[in-house]
Amino acid sequence: MREYETVIARIEALARELGLSFEPVIFRVTTSDEIAEVASMGLPNRFIHWYWGGAYKEIYAQQQKAVFSILELVLNTRPAYAFLRRTNTYLQNILVIAHVYGHADFFANNHWFQKSNKDILNAAEQHARAFRTYEQKYGRETVQRLLDSCLTVATSVNAFERDPARRMRRVMYCIEARAPLQDYERHIVEAIRKEAEYFDLIQRTHIINEGWATFVEAEILRHLLGPRAWAEVAVQICNRPSTYLLGYTLFRHIQRTWGLRRALEVRRFYEDVRLVDEMLTQDLVNRLDLFVYDPKERTKNAEVEAVKEMLIHQKLYKGDPQIEVEDHTGGKDLTLVHVEEGKKLDPKRIALYLRAVHTLWRNPVRLRANGKVYTYDKRGLSTA
Amino acid sequence: MRIHRGRIAEHQHDLLLREYLKQNLNELIQQKELVIDGKVKTQITTLDLPTLRYGDEESFLAQGTGARGGGGSGGEEVQAIRGLLGGDHHGRELRVELDFDEFVRLAQEVLLDEIRLPQLHHLSRGGEVETEDLPELNDLDRWGLLSDLNLEETMISSLLRNVRERGVAEYDVDLYQDGWYFVEAPELERNHRSLEVYVLDISGSMRGDYLALVRKMIFLLWYALERRYPTNLRRYVVFQDVAEEKTRDEFFSVESSGGTHISSGLEKAMELLDGVSEYDKYLFLFTDGETSSGDFDLAKRRLEEALERFDVVCYGHVNPGGRGVGGFSEHVQELARRRPNLSFVNLVDLETIQKALREFIPYLSGEGGRGECGSTRRSSRGLKRSPASSA
Repeated sequence: MREYETVIARIEALARELGLSFEPVIFRVTTSDEIAEVASMGLPNRFIHWYWGGAYKEIYAQQQKAVFSILELVLNTRPAYAFLRRTNTYLQNILVIAHVYGHADFFANNHWFQKSNKDILNAAEQHARAFRTYEQKYGRETVQRLLDSCLTVATSVNAFERDPARRMRRVMYCIEARAPLQDYERHIVEAIRKEAEYFDLIQRTHIINEGWATFVEAEILRHLLGPRAWAEVAVQICNRPSTYLLGYTLFRHIQRTWGLRRALEVRRFYEDVRLVDEMLTQDLVNRLDLFVYDPKERTKNAEVEAVKEMLIHQKLYKGDPQIEVEDHTGGKDLTLVHVEEGKKLDPKRIALYLRAVHTLWRNPVRLRANGKVYTYDKRGLSTA
Repeated sequence: MRIHRGRIAEHQHDLLLREYLKQNLNELIQQKELVIDGKVKTQITTLDLPTLRYGDEESFLAQGTGARGGGGSGGEEVQAIRGLLGGDHHGRELRVELDFDEFVRLAQEVLLDEIRLPQLHHLSRGGEVETEDLPELNDLDRWGLLSDLNLEETMISSLLRNVRERGVAEYDVDLYQDGWYFVEAPELERNHRSLEVYVLDISGSMRGDYLALVRKMIFLLWYALERRYPTNLRRYVVFQDVAEEKTRDEFFSVESSGGTHISSGLEKAMELLDGVSEYDKYLFLFTDGETSSGDFDLAKRRLEEALERFDVVCYGHVNPGGRGVGGFSEHVQELARRRPNLSFVNLVDLETIQKALREFIPYLSGEGGRGECGSTRRSSRGLKRSPASSA
């Protein structure tokens, strides 16, 4: 780490000159393996679950390849923790350090991150310990089943949603508030909901956050490096995954059109939906060669409105079908409804999904979808 | 010490995967295209968090790759934009892609569990038996395993050196100077490689359940043979009217069609022996024995030739229906009673595979059949190994 101390100080100073502000950043040089571990679990000390195991295996395999491997990880904590991969080249780690300061600035200044849980590492550790205690007390299998079910419905959280009535239309919140759970079970549901909200915020700001970090990285390195090294970096930036490139292109567009001050404002007040909705233009869509592809018709639609709509839908619902709680005011039974007309759900997954909801809800669960009513109760699935 | 949560989670994931395979092995193993690009690809819903998904193929956001491809109205390749969500992997669909070797290992575990074969130990390259246990090491472990040390010779050597150098009759062992080790006697060293030729009938009658039986048998044969030979050279032949050599992946992704010319399969197998220097040569032939009319006599002759050229010929009559043995298989069954290096297996179910392997494994261990087959570990005293090379 010592070899990077001087360059970290230089990059930090350049970042402040650009008008950035951030919490202290603690850098750790680590192995690809540990990066794969943290990336698969989301947090370094999160409870252990088999599902992370599948992701870990996949990421670990990717890490062994040169392309698309993860070079760094930053945690939205106070102080922020950043992991640098030991096998990175010196230049790669300089890029990464500059990129990390972009994230740290975003975490510290973005409006939506003001309410984020900066103490998530402690919380995750406490959750993991509590789950282990519950496993000893109530049995591993019981707790595991509960965790599987919680993680299945946890994607329904929305960290941005403040209206209590609208929150209750989301399965996770409804279950936490109304399901007949024992205290320890409710604690598990609450813990998973909190962790899911932490990740939900990251997911809803992924394009802007990565775009901003890449933009900051480019700006800092332009000052730090000579023309030749900078040219190399510029090529690398253009080869980043699409989300990075999309966000970066939008910030470059903002800077060129309205100046750096406007870019700083956007990073403070926007999230992905607003960024895409307000800043994406037909020209940028063409330049990035983005389009909506219909695999059935094998057609492309590169109109900016279509691309925006698709992106915004992805961000609002994480690519999942929109499921709402139909009546959240009372009653033993729970009725869910798939609200997107004209779209069908994969019937193979319905029974498993409803079984997960039933594990938490304990009473009959209904789902109106695919023109049918699916009911899951003690006897299993029935369709009407 | 760092708790490696990723590995623990992976272990938990693998336990579930094993359980899934246990329950679905028959279905998986029957997939015609078992291996694609070295992977066994399957969508294991139970190994995914069962979040809801859209049923139909939905439109998605994509980016042009700049390359011209076959699909798409514009003829340009389309690349879906992934990773729009970032954060953790929560809610992402994990497609289970098992490396074929890993699939085989898991399948072997499941099959061994079912047929209760004895656990065999791996043979290392040096010809020694590896155990699952931690090796017993002492302070001298940088020199090697304790079991390799010839203690008696070493102590004598140490005693003599101490008398000579220090004038005291003490055991003050300096391995660098005194160490003696058991090593393979060079004159007894043999080539530990085997050549295994797998010949599969892919005529129209070899359907999914036939393939499942053959694959199970092959996986278990691999299990046994890998513990016998540190390195194996495997070659694959499929035949119907004509025979072709295939890669491993192709061998496990075959389409059944056409007639049965067993002679062509045997001919191709023998062609693969040209220039081969492996010590043990095995031929495993899997067929339902319904050889085409006109091929019977030729197949008989080719089998005789194969028996001369291979050390062991194992003929698997694939018979999932449990019908009587007829056709060419009947001839082989009869011949196997007289020819020591020909074994006939009527593959009806897992039980018959178990029976066949129970006969085969002692054979491999040198307890039955041709005990000369392959080499066993032989230790030799008094052969001094250079201490530097033993480190």
